[in-house]
Amino acid sequence: MDLQYDTEHTILRDGAEKYLAGRYDYRTYQKIAESDAGWNSDVWTEFAELGWLGLPFADEDGGIGGGPVEVAVLMETLGKSLVLEPYVPTVILGGGIVSALGSPSQRQLILPAVAEGKLRLAFAIEDRGTPVQAKKASGGYVLSGAKKMVLGAPMADTILVSAKMGGGVGVFVVPAETRGLVVRPYRMVDGGRAADIEMVDVSLPSSALLGNNESAGATIELTIHRAIGALSADAVGAISSLVAATVEYTKTRVQFGQPLAKFQVLQHRMVDMKVKEEEARASCLFATLSLDGPTDRRARAVSGAKAKIGRAGRSVSQSAIQLHGAIGTTNELSIGGYTKRLIAYELLFGSTREHLRRYASIISDPAVASAGLLSAPAN
Amino acid sequence: MDLNISPEDIAFRDEVRKFLDSAVTDDMRRGVELTTAFINDPEISIDFHKALHKKGWSVPAWPKEYGGTGWSAVQRYIFDTECARYGAPMFNGAGRAMLAPVLMKFGRPDQQEFYLPRIAAGEDHWAQGYSEPGAGSDLASLKTKAESDGDDYIVNGQKIWTTHAHKSNRIFALVRTSSEGKRQEGITFLLIDLDSPGITIRPIVGNGGDHEFNEVFFDNVRVPKSNRVGEENKGWDCAKYLLEFERGGSLQAGRVRAQFTRLVKLIKAHSPDDPDIAVRMAELGTDLDAMEMIDISILSAVQSGGNPGPISSLVKLRWSQVRQQIAELAMDTIGEEALKWVGERPLYETLQLPPDEEELLTQTPRYLNYRAYTIFGGSTEIQTTILSKSMLGL
Ligand SMILES: Cc1cc2nc3c(=O)[nH]c(=O)nc-3n(C[C@H](O)[C@H](O)[C@H](O)COP(=O)(O)OP(=O)(O)OC[C@H]3O[C@@H](n4cnc5c(N)ncnc54)[C@H](O)[C@@H]3O)c2cc1C
Repeated sequence: MDLQYDTEHTILRDGAEKYLAGRYDYRTYQKIAESDAGWNSDVWTEFAELGWLGLPFADEDGGIGGGPVEVAVLMETLGKSLVLEPYVPTVILGGGIVSALGSPSQRQLILPAVAEGKLRLAFAIEDRGTPVQAKKASGGYVLSGAKKMVLGAPMADTILVSAKMGGGVGVFVVPAETRGLVVRPYRMVDGGRAADIEMVDVSLPSSALLGNNESAGATIELTIHRAIGALSADAVGAISSLVAATVEYTKTRVQFGQPLAKFQVLQHRMVDMKVKEEEARASCLFATLSLDGPTDRRARAVSGAKAKIGRAGRSVSQSAIQLHGAIGTTNELSIGGYTKRLIAYELLFGSTREHLRRYASIISDPAVASAGLLSAPAN
Repeated sequence: MDLNISPEDIAFRDEVRKFLDSAVTDDMRRGVELTTAFINDPEISIDFHKALHKKGWSVPAWPKEYGGTGWSAVQRYIFDTECARYGAPMFNGAGRAMLAPVLMKFGRPDQQEFYLPRIAAGEDHWAQGYSEPGAGSDLASLKTKAESDGDDYIVNGQKIWTTHAHKSNRIFALVRTSSEGKRQEGITFLLIDLDSPGITIRPIVGNGGDHEFNEVFFDNVRVPKSNRVGEENKGWDCAKYLLEFERGGSLQAGRVRAQFTRLVKLIKAHSPDDPDIAVRMAELGTDLDAMEMIDISILSAVQSGGNPGPISSLVKLRWSQVRQQIAELAMDTIGEEALKWVGERPLYETLQLPPDEEELLTQTPRYLNYRAYTIFGGSTEIQTTILSKSMLGL
């Protein structure tokens, strides 16, 4: 058992915070959110130079071999700065599924380019109406169907698409300009971008199927869990920023002849926010440390974190707005941005209620409920 | 970073399990399950205490030179978790967890040598005499007076809410020895035998039906000055030091997880298809997981020689709320069954029903009793005010 961050984590965190503090303030976020593209290519290049775009990839794939903890450390700082560039879609989702399923040549083709900042990815998972089906055709496959809420798809060069095939499911590499692929982009509440996509008889070579794998269901789920883990750390960053901003604001805002922070009723509300932040952080760490573990435990920790952090985020953002008064209801201060970020977190990859239901079905086994979180390592 | 336990710790866990297999009897377990108050009567816990003592495990948290086990933080976590899983009895912490650290820090060697082994062996049972009718959260306003008379003090006044005074042979009490200067500077810490002439103990029955706490009256009670801990008028230092242990102190995760597991089984039996109950159960489970992670992160900080910092002060606050909510959901889970009431105590003597029916009769009393979790040992409001300083710098 060891929950201490080591020097390398501290270096990663401090470096990221320092860079983002100088490069990505709230005005920058607002400008990018309001731009047509919704991301900034210079920033993206700098992310590549900092080594972030290959953080979780293996050395031989052009990455630096970081694990879930390193990803979480970075993601928390991205959340604090409200970074809009498509890190999770490209590195965690797209890059994650290619790392896990891809053949050596597919990984070589895609991952080093991602790490260098030359290729952006998205991963289309959730079906919309007609599920995407892949049928064998001469020399490859033909895909038809529709997907929704594909994060980062509007700026992606390549979209990974999950498709039903026979009894199983596979993941296909689909370049954005492929004929028959229609991308319908939209803006999300926090300024991030996503798209619904439609595929009508899209022809792909057989080399487009990742790892030639027709039963990728479990790996897709693992990749989603990794994305939820990363987004959870991002949300913890947003929550902690809201708490810090609210404490600072009430220390300086004077009413009735004294700083607001002197009123016990507000002190107590801020402690409540801080406690929720700490619990959210703890819950996120449990999920992070379970990502490489046994499936049941991972599902329990991830769904638990998604629900717990979702609830915390909602409550903390409501308190932050309340304690700022009228200014809290505008976009003037960063708390507006964090509030929207946390709404997005709650709604992506399953609502709080859905995750509570999943968590309930796992925890209702008394053997699971009674076991402490420290455990013998699985062999 | 990881949540793994080492092969040595697994071997330790197996040793603990082997011990508990024989030390925790079915009668004990039933006694624990049918206790709706906070701590178990000595009648239930004493044999377990004796078995622990024989094994050298009765006071694991104490420094080794006083009889502690010298276990690592992880081993203590394992021990607590396993005891809870086995349904082992809970002791009154007043002696082991509160008074003992005060004696180790402020007591004279002869006091340490006399009292500590008796606590470790389960021979002495202590009560905590802090609160008074006029001194609750504002403890320093206490009025119980000790006047000097030769080698003795003469004590007059009243304590209240004194847990297990009726099951104890001694009480440590804060008394006023001076009314000059700051209120905190006139307080003295005394050790008093409860069979001293002039002491009257009157029961207070809580609305959950249990007699757990009492009023304790002092009418010209003679206490030797040698029973004073620390200097005269310096008792506030002892009092504050003790509260650190009462409020922070032991790991809770194991106990709360055991309580949660009973809830999970209750839901399976009574409301398996109620989606609202399932959601509330899941919310509590995620609270519990997060709090256990905080417990473990404190362990980890201590293990690597660091200081957990202010986060340790939120632990008492949140565990008390989680425990209340589990008790509340347990009551809600059984529907109208929660209406049935058996007033006689102890339930482990009164009831003679099938175990699952007996369990139903504990839920409402436990719900009512557990409202006190957020009142004693520093109320939620007092803790929150402390946290606003320690965590937020307000
Ligand atoms: C089950 C149980 C067992 C106990 N066992 C013992 C024991 O063994 N020995 C012992 O000495 N005592 C014991 N106590 C007493 C306990 O320590 C006191 O109840 C506690 O200190 C609170 O004091 P009070 O009950 O007088 O409430 P009060 O102090 O009168 O408080 C009433 C309410 O006002 C709030 N409040 C008080 N001050 C403030 C403030 N400054 N700001 C905001 N809110 C405030 C409190 O949080 C509470 O909600 C026990 C209590 C219970 C319930």
